[in-house]
Amino acid sequence: MTERNILHIRDLDISLGTGDKILNGVDLAIAPGKILGVIGESGAGKSMIGSAIADTLPVGLAISRGSIEFDGLTLTDMTAKTRRDLLGRDIGFIPQEPMTALNPTLTIGQQVGRHLARIGIGSARKREQRAIELFTEVGLNRPGELLKNYTHQLSGGMLQRVLIAMAFASNPRLVIADEPTTALDVTVQLKVIDLIAKMREAHNTSVLFITHDLQLAAEVCDDVAVLYAGQIVERGEARSIINEPRHPYSRCLNLATPNLAGPKTRLMILPKAMPSPLERTAMAGCKFTPRCPIAGDLCIGTPPPLSEISAGHRSACHWPERTETITPPPLKADDENTVLGADLVMKATGLGKAYRQHDWLGRVRRVEALRGLDFEVREREFVGIVGESGSGKSTLTKLIVGLEDITAGVLDVVGMDRATTPRERFFDRVQLVFQDPQSALNPRRRIGSLVTQSLECRGSGLSASARKQLAKDLLAKVMLPPDMIDRFPDQLSGGQKQRVNIARALCSNPRLLIADEIVSGLDVSVQAQILELLRELRKQASFSLLLISHDLAVVRHICDRTLVMYRGEIVEQGPVEDIFTNPQHAYTKKLVAAARGNSGLYADATEQEAENEAF
Amino acid sequence: MIKAVIRVIGRRLMAIVPVFAIVTILVFGALRILPVDPAQMSLPPSATIQQVEEKREQMGLNKPIWEQYAIWFKRAVAGDLGESAQYRMPTSSVVFERLPATIELVICSLILAVFVGTVGGILLFSARGTPFESVGMTLTSAVMALPDFLLALLFILLFGVLLPIFPVNGRLDPGLQVPAQTGFLLLDSLLTGDIGIFASALRHIALPVMALGLAFSPTIVRVLHSSLINTYQQSYIRQARLRGLSDREILFGQALKNAILPVVILVGTQFGSLFGGTLLVEMIFSFPGLGNLMVKAMQTADLSVIMAIALIYCATTLIFNSLADAAAYLLNPKLRTG
Ligand SMILES: Nc1ncnc2c1ncn2[C@@H]1O[C@H](COP(=O)(O)OP(=O)(O)OP(=O)(O)O)[C@@H](O)[C@H]1O
Ligand code: SF4
Ligand SMILES: [Mg+2]
Repeated sequence: MTERNILHIRDLDISLGTGDKILNGVDLAIAPGKILGVIGESGAGKSMIGSAIADTLPVGLAISRGSIEFDGLTLTDMTAKTRRDLLGRDIGFIPQEPMTALNPTLTIGQQVGRHLARIGIGSARKREQRAIELFTEVGLNRPGELLKNYTHQLSGGMLQRVLIAMAFASNPRLVIADEPTTALDVTVQLKVIDLIAKMREAHNTSVLFITHDLQLAAEVCDDVAVLYAGQIVERGEARSIINEPRHPYSRCLNLATPNLAGPKTRLMILPKAMPSPLERTAMAGCKFTPRCPIAGDLCIGTPPPLSEISAGHRSACHWPERTETITPPPLKADDENTVLGADLVMKATGLGKAYRQHDWLGRVRRVEALRGLDFEVREREFVGIVGESGSGKSTLTKLIVGLEDITAGVLDVVGMDRATTPRERFFDRVQLVFQDPQSALNPRRRIGSLVTQSLECRGSGLSASARKQLAKDLLAKVMLPPDMIDRFPDQLSGGQKQRVNIARALCSNPRLLIADEIVSGLDVSVQAQILELLRELRKQASFSLLLISHDLAVVRHICDRTLVMYRGEIVEQGPVEDIFTNPQHAYTKKLVAAARGNSGLYADATEQEAENEAF
Repeated sequence: MIKAVIRVIGRRLMAIVPVFAIVTILVFGALRILPVDPAQMSLPPSATIQQVEEKREQMGLNKPIWEQYAIWFKRAVAGDLGESAQYRMPTSSVVFERLPATIELVICSLILAVFVGTVGGILLFSARGTPFESVGMTLTSAVMALPDFLLALLFILLFGVLLPIFPVNGRLDPGLQVPAQTGFLLLDSLLTGDIGIFASALRHIALPVMALGLAFSPTIVRVLHSSLINTYQQSYIRQARLRGLSDREILFGQALKNAILPVVILVGTQFGSLFGGTLLVEMIFSFPGLGNLMVKAMQTADLSVIMAIALIYCATTLIFNSLADAAAYLLNPKLRTG
C-alpha cells in the first residue's frame, strides 16, 4: 500500500452561475514530497485549482461537483474558518508576481514577523532568529539588513526568495506555486526553480507547480498534468509526457515552442483558439477537435476518456498512438536564407544616454543608461536584442524613435541623423509594436480604421473605399479575415490584437520595425503564430526588424543576428547561431546556460540580484 | 529621517513668501477698487469734508496705490500690522485675541471630520456588496451636496430650536469668565480645573464643530472607501489571505496603512476650505473668532484687519499643507528610503 496522497482532487467541477464549467472532472493526486506540474495555456483553468484549494474562488464561481482532500481531510466539507487556518500553516503559496505580493508600506521584517507569529513563534527575538535562519536557507545575503528593508529596495528574485522562505517557514505539507517565475528575468528564473526544488526536499513538502512552460515543468516536476479547456487531457511522469507525449495537444504545445538547441523547424501552428466555457458546454465530444491535426469523426460526438496507455501514463484521446504522426511543418528553402539588402537601415556609433535624475528632495545624480553602443542593422535584416530588465533595451528603443535625446555618439536611422532630424521626418519609416497588444488600440475605433490610422496624419487623400481595401489587404497580410475591419479591439483575442498592431505598423511601409517584447505574455500557440507571421512577412515586405526579447529561443528562431546587452552596454554581437552555440562573454554564457535549463547551480542570491538591489 | 521631514516642511513653507505677496496685493487692490472710503468709515457721519480729507492724508490714502502697498508691506515685515480703524487698537491685538477661538473650532472640527470619516469609510467598505453600501453612498452624497453653512442652519433648527440641547451662539454661557491663559477655552478651563466652564464651552462649540466637521467627513468617507477597494485589489492583500490572515488582520494590519494615504493628502489639500468655512459658520453662531471679525471688518472696510486675517488664512493653510506632506512622506517608504 502506497503512502496516503497529500493532495487528492477527485472529479472536480467548478462552474459559473450559468452552469458552464471552468473545470470539468479534474482528477489529481500528489504523493508526499513530490512535485506535480499543471501545464496549460491561459484560460485553461490552472489557477482555479489553486483557488479551489485555498477557498478563494472569484465571486460567481463555485465547486459544483467532486471533492478536494488534503492530507486525509476533506476540505470541501470543512468550514471556511477551519480551511483558512490551514493556509500559511499546512498549505503555503508562492505567487506569480513577487514584486507586488508583499505590502510596500511594511518592512520585510514586519511581514515575515507577523507570519511567524501566526504560525506560533512566540517571542520577537525568536522570530527574528528564525527569519534569519530561513533567509539564509533560501540563499539571501545579509538577512539581518533585509528585514529592515521595504519591498522596493529588493529585486524580484530576492523578493521571490523571501516569499519562498515564508511559504516553507511552517514546514507545510503542500506548497502551491502558481507561475512563480513568469515575472522574473531569465537568469533568475532557474535559480528560483532550483530553490523551490531544494526547499521541498529539505522540508519534505509536496508541491503543486502551475506553469505554461513545458520545458520548465520537465526540469522540475515528478509528474505532469496537461490541462486543456478545464479538463486534464494527459497525465503521467514528467519525462515521458515531455519526451513522448501521447496526446495531440501536448505534442502541439511542444512543437509550437521555439528551442535553443537542435535543428530549426517551423513552429507548429494551432488553428483557432481554446473554446470558452460557454462554447465548451456546446461541444459533445473532444474539446480539442476543432484544433486537432488528427481529429476524426469519432472525436466530434464522443468524448475520449482519460484512459491509461502505459503504467501511470493517461491520455484523453481516442488515438493516443497517432500522436507521433504530428510533425512540425518543415522549413522552406527561403525561410532561412533571406537576401539582405546592401544599405544600412540603422547605424549607431558610440551611442550613449545619461539621465539626470532628481530624487524627491531635489538632489541630482547622473545615471548612465547606455554606454558606447556600436552596431548596424542592414536592410531586411532581423536583429534580436537580448538582455535582462534594466540592461537598457527600452532606452535604446526610445532613442531610436526619438522619445529621448541622445547624449553621446551618433545614431543614424534610415539615413538621417537621429539627433538633429525632427521626429516627424521619421514618421512612416520607423514603426513600433509594443508588448501590451491592448494599450495601443483605441477601444472605440474599428479595426479597419485602426490599421490605416497612420494615413490620417499624412493626409493621403485616399477615398473611403480605397482605404477600406487597404485595411483588408493589411489584415490579409497578417492573416486575419477581411470582415474583421468592422470589429472593435475588445472583440479580438490577444494574439489577434497583436496582429492588428503589426498590420498597423506595416501600413506605412516602414523600413524599420521595432518589436518590443511583442510575444511575451502571449500563449505558446499564439506566440508561434506571431513568429511565423513575421517570418512570412519578411519574404514579402522589405523591412528590417529589431526584436527585443528576453527569450533567447524566440530570437534564435527568427533573427539573423543578435546583440547581447548587459548593464547599458553591448557585450557581444554576431550571428544568432554563433552566439548561442559559442558564447564568448561571461554574461552571454550565463544567459544561454539559464535558457538551456542547465544552470544546475543553486547558489545564493547572485551577484546580479544583489546588483539589482542597489538600483 | 527627522532632518528629511524638516526639509520637506521647509520646502513647502518657502512658498509662503510669494503666496503672501500675491494674496496681499490682490486683497489690497480689491479693497482699493471698492467704492468705500476707509477714511470716511473711520469718522463719525457728522465729519466735515475737510476732516475726511485730513484723515485721508493721515492714512496715506492719497498716495498712489503701489506706494500705499509698499508702506503697508514695509511695516508688516517689521511686525506692525497697523491699527484697526474700527476698534482703534493695534490690529495685531485685535486679531490675536480672536485667533484661539477659531483655531479651537478648526481643530475640533478636523478631529471630528477625520474620526467620523475614517470610521465611516471603514464601515462603508465593510458593507460592500450589501444594501448598506448603497444607503451609505446615497447618504454621503446627500451630505456632500450640503454646504457647511446650510448644515449649520439645519443643526440650529434641530438641536437649538426643535430639541434645544445645545446653545446656538457665543462661546460660553453669559456670566462665566475664565482667566484667559492661552485663549483656548477648552484648554484653559481644564487647566484651571473648572469643569463647569469646560462643559459650557464644549456645549457652545458643539454645533459649529458639527457643522464644519460633518460637512467635511463624507468626502473622507468616500475617499477612504474607494481607496480601500483599490487596495484590496492589490496582490499583497490576496497573498496575505493565502497566508491565512483573518479579515480583521488584513484590514487593520495590511490594508489601512496603504489606504489612508489619499485621506492624508485630501485633508492636507482641503484644510484651506475647512478654515474658510469658519467665516460663515462663526457668523451664524455668533462665535467670536476670526471669521466673525473678518465679516465685521469687511462691513467697516477695516483694511488692516482684513489684510491681517487674509495673511493668517494663508499661513495656516500652507503650514497645514506641509504637515500633510510630511505625513504622506512618513507613510510612504518609497519616498523615505528611495
Ligand atoms: N471571475 C471570473 N468570472 C468568470 N469566469 C472567470 C473568472 N475568472 C476566471 N474565469 C474564467 O476561468 C477560466 C480559467 O481561468 P484561470 O485563471 O484558471 O486560467 P489559467 O489557466 O490560470 O490562465 P493563465 O495562464 O492566464 O493564468 C477562464 O476561462 C476564465 O475566463
Ligand atoms: S480525441 Fe480526437 S480530437 Fe481529441 S485529441 Fe484525440 S484525435 Fe484529437
Ligand atoms: Mg493563472
